[in-house]
Amino acid sequence: MTASHDAYRRFRRRETRHLLWTTAPSVLWISLFLVLPSLYLVSMAFMSNDTYGQPTLPLTLSAFDQLAGDGVLGWSPANIYTLLRSLEYTVISSVLTMLVSYPLAYYIATSRRSLRPVMLLMLVVPSWTNQVVRAFGWMNLLAPETPLSDAASAMGLLSPWMGLYPSPFAVMLGLVYNFLPFMVLPLYNSFEKLDVSQIEAARDLYASPYKTFWAAIFPQTLPGLLAGMVLVAIPAFGMYVVPELLGGGRAMMIGNLVALQFAEGANWPLGAAGALVMLIATLVGIWLLRRMGRKFGGGEEVLV
Amino acid sequence: MRHVQRRHPMFGIFWWLMVLFLYLPLGMVVLYSFNSINSTAHFAGFSLRWYRQLLENEELFSAFKNSMILAVSSSAIALVLGSMLGYGLYRHRRRGLGWLIALIYLPVVMPDVVFGLAEMTSFVKVGSWIGLFSPGLTTMTLAHVTFELPFVALLVYSRFVNMDAALFDAAQDLYASPSKRFTHVILPEIKPALLSSFFLSFTLSFDDFAISFFTAGPESATLPIYIWSSIKRGVSPSINAIGSLMILAVMVAVIIMLLGNWRKRARA
Repeated sequence: MTASHDAYRRFRRRETRHLLWTTAPSVLWISLFLVLPSLYLVSMAFMSNDTYGQPTLPLTLSAFDQLAGDGVLGWSPANIYTLLRSLEYTVISSVLTMLVSYPLAYYIATSRRSLRPVMLLMLVVPSWTNQVVRAFGWMNLLAPETPLSDAASAMGLLSPWMGLYPSPFAVMLGLVYNFLPFMVLPLYNSFEKLDVSQIEAARDLYASPYKTFWAAIFPQTLPGLLAGMVLVAIPAFGMYVVPELLGGGRAMMIGNLVALQFAEGANWPLGAAGALVMLIATLVGIWLLRRMGRKFGGGEEVLV
Repeated sequence: MRHVQRRHPMFGIFWWLMVLFLYLPLGMVVLYSFNSINSTAHFAGFSLRWYRQLLENEELFSAFKNSMILAVSSSAIALVLGSMLGYGLYRHRRRGLGWLIALIYLPVVMPDVVFGLAEMTSFVKVGSWIGLFSPGLTTMTLAHVTFELPFVALLVYSRFVNMDAALFDAAQDLYASPSKRFTHVILPEIKPALLSSFFLSFTLSFDDFAISFFTAGPESATLPIYIWSSIKRGVSPSINAIGSLMILAVMVAVIIMLLGNWRKRARA
């Protein structure tokens, strides 16, 4: 009895030691180089701002006051606008990505089996080139006096000599361009696994194509759609490169506002307060999408 | 879905329009890299002058060198730490490791700007205390390992999960020592996962802009940072030439990958 008990205890101790030496280095690394720095950044949001923009004591909430728009010249809603604009761009570009990806995923999933990997590869390859280079490609395409901009102004959509870039339109286009593959891949997985008997049952019961879609197809693809939303909306909200390059000064998103405070803005506490808002929004977004995923996805776990 | 269905022809048209949408910006970069004049609005004729200009650009070569050093060193560190973590996660997956999974996902979900700025500000702080961590390749490597680690861990973990657990038992039954078990059983089994983790880490690192941008020092610009600052300074045609070379590199990698797959399938 005691001998086997001892052996078991020794086994447990060995297992625990094993768990420790395999996981501790990574846990330590992530704690030292991400968790602690993030806590430090967050703590900065509660400090005051010295004349060089550096955080100092005493602790105050003035950074949040400034984020809400209180300044020396009275109240200005610029920061609030930036936050709302980020939400707006995120929602619009995610919905657009979804609308575009849905038929694409369907088309690939119903193509010849041998073609499917090649088609997926075709969609993914452009996103393997550097983000900055891709954004620069759009700058080339949408700049003033390019065929696209000329066409837009000929149709009266744009005042002459203006380009389609820089503009809010270019930013949203850039976001859709960036995140399209991240929506198509999980959606394609849903379409691949689609239970065709449900569609046949709906047809046998004389459901209209419209009804068949909403009752038999759409609910089955919802887990993929939500997984795609996590992969598109969350990083789109925190995007820095696309609004910085394609937006000019007029289409700033929250990430650009935050980064600006650490550079020319020279107000680290304000930037830290913005970063805290970004973190909270990101976590709330993930939590919401995961909850929805669990509610609609049945037993299937949504990615991330 | 199981079988090819009759589909509306609009789907096919839409597919090709989207392919055009995805490749058009890249095509423009390549096209204008051969432009004989300094313009992105008009194509005046074929010329290689922007490529020739690249050859004399020392800043560009040092940026490329930095990118390579950063990608190789950070991937190597992430490979070691991440595969240990992946193995630990697999061996002990029945214990409550939820908090560990949450910790691993943190670098993946955190917005790049917040990630980069958190690192930058704390490196500055630590630097002012003890003089370590002045911004440069070292700080960038530390940051890059942090975001590569989760990908390595998850790839290695899923390789272990898909592996036959009887292999471990067999090795143990045959009295293989832990080091023998490692070199003769575990290592060959996870080699593909290790290789793909290394290449994924390398690509993530080489491509990263935002996190590098915030942790870089004055002498440690990487290729994406160099391109970024050239765009901000407005020297466009030579950016088109570098961009085209980077697109070419991706295309060559894709072709090598496809050829490898075909050969594997031909052998099977």
